[in-house]
Amino acid sequence: MSGLAVWAAPLLVAVLLAGGVYAAAVIDLATGRSVAGTGLGPSALLQPFRRAALTVVQRPSATERPDVVMWLLAPALYLGLAAAGLALVPLSPTFAIADVQAGIVVWGTIESLVIVAIFLHGWSANSLQPLLAAYRFLAVGVSYLLLSMFVLIAAAIPAESLATGQIVVSQHGLWNVVRQPLGLPLFLIVALGSATWGPLNVADGTDLAGGTTAEVSGMPLLMWRAARLAMLTSFAATVFLGGWQGPWLPGPLWVAVKTLLVLVVLAAAGHRFARVPTERFVTICWVVLLPLSFVDLAVAGVGAL
Amino acid sequence: MTLTTVLVVAAALVGLGLWGALAQQSIVMLLMGIELMINGVLLAAGGLWALAAGGDPKGQLLVVVAMAVMAVEMAIGFAIVVAVYRARQVDLTDGLDSMAG
Amino acid sequence: MSGAQPSLVVHGAFWVFALVAVVSGWRVFRTDSMVRATFLLLASFLNVGAILLLLGGAYLGIALLFMMTVEMTVMAVFMVAFMMNPAGLNPMSMVHQPRVAAVAGWAVFAGGAAVAVWGRFPRRPLDPAADVIGALGTELMGRSMLIFETAGVALVATMIGSVVLSSRRSRFGDEAGDIGSLPPMLDSAAGTYPPGVVSEPAGAGHHGSHGDHS
Repeated sequence: MSGLAVWAAPLLVAVLLAGGVYAAAVIDLATGRSVAGTGLGPSALLQPFRRAALTVVQRPSATERPDVVMWLLAPALYLGLAAAGLALVPLSPTFAIADVQAGIVVWGTIESLVIVAIFLHGWSANSLQPLLAAYRFLAVGVSYLLLSMFVLIAAAIPAESLATGQIVVSQHGLWNVVRQPLGLPLFLIVALGSATWGPLNVADGTDLAGGTTAEVSGMPLLMWRAARLAMLTSFAATVFLGGWQGPWLPGPLWVAVKTLLVLVVLAAAGHRFARVPTERFVTICWVVLLPLSFVDLAVAGVGAL
Repeated sequence: MTLTTVLVVAAALVGLGLWGALAQQSIVMLLMGIELMINGVLLAAGGLWALAAGGDPKGQLLVVVAMAVMAVEMAIGFAIVVAVYRARQVDLTDGLDSMAG
Repeated sequence: MSGAQPSLVVHGAFWVFALVAVVSGWRVFRTDSMVRATFLLLASFLNVGAILLLLGGAYLGIALLFMMTVEMTVMAVFMVAFMMNPAGLNPMSMVHQPRVAAVAGWAVFAGGAAVAVWGRFPRRPLDPAADVIGALGTELMGRSMLIFETAGVALVATMIGSVVLSSRRSRFGDEAGDIGSLPPMLDSAAGTYPPGVVSEPAGAGHHGSHGDHS
């Protein structure tokens, strides 16, 4: 549909992925420094490269009798899913790397496979802390996954289509963040969960010595961290903030600006809020947030009548 | 990818699922066998819809209903497993030989 | 997806997906580790979803992938909770009536394959330009609304039923669910649980008598 050559699509996705990961890392660093009160110098721009170099030269560690296939597969799967999510984003009125007909459902599949990837990463290490982290992330994951389903369906109702391009087009006069106000906060919670970030960092939390990354080092660790950052640059700009729409600037630039805005919000949430205990989040999600997502869906349905 | 080959693969999945469902002693593995059988049915229905029914939307409806059946079966199946375990501490099908209680 | 006659790539992809689906379905019942069994079943489902996508079911394939991923994630938790060999450390074989099951499985496969090979089906391929998602939506909301609503009611009944069956305040009174959930005491000299661990519900000792619950 986009007329892109077969070899160009993976290249473009890789470029977008690298850009997204770098931007997320810099914003996270800058937000952390501003929250901590230390200076915001230009060294923040180079720090991600330094950290990456430091991680790459570490020796990959091994545990006793891990499930080697899944242990190596999990970071690759996570990164691949983040890349697939980026491929769904429409960059301009006529161009998306992969504008499939059922884009919203593909995004839902990506989110659920992320849960599988994180679980496998923790289970396959054959070690205690990663296993605990993986199991408690399962509880959190299944909970926020339901939120995302209803919120995305609500966004698809005015578009009368499941394709992401159509959803952006349907926001022509009024962005979804205005006519479905509950959608964006709930979806940001989902984004935090998909990246196990901030208050929902139950899979890689420091209270479990790094959780699923407790036994990982070297190149696989770099891939895992990059994938987590890439998942932050998620769908919110497309579905709720109007995607490529905006005056003066070209479409792709608006997508980048809105994604950066979402990244700033998510990074701030990561540094400002403490980790929510699993039981508390599951209770809040099923008792408060899920009914709110029903309300959001009802608002969207009534608005479409 | 002709209709014949799709249906043969679906029959293989149903046969595998039936073998698993009849042979396994654990109730949870029995549920997995049933899931595999419904998997085969979904494939057969999808194949017939795309290759023999010419895209009649009722074929898609059949697939959607089969998916709903799958969800229902798994949910109630696991709830029953939990309830039976709490009442009798059994999780094998051989232990479920009495309906009293 | 690609015109009247599927290309060689599509044929090849179909055979790869079909082979992986069948082999991983077989391995589900042969592997020792429970988590691996669950994810092998997921692999089988993902490949069937991929075949549905190849056939042209744009929504059906993706919806199957989505639903099965979440189902298998939940199933992984139950497998580890209820199976005896969750880590796959010991080889185990938990089968009964193996020959009956094998004969039944082969018989069903033979019958199904015979119908597939010798049955006479109409050959009307899907129109590649058709809007299958729109057609499904119109069908669900239009002529088949009754089926859709019945499925909805069945799902609500399932939700209520599964919550009732598995709630901690089980059918036998408050906290009776706890009695069965607790593991047996390993030290036989201790006998029973110390007082205060589990409160004594009304029908704890009687598994067979519930005249008041009919």
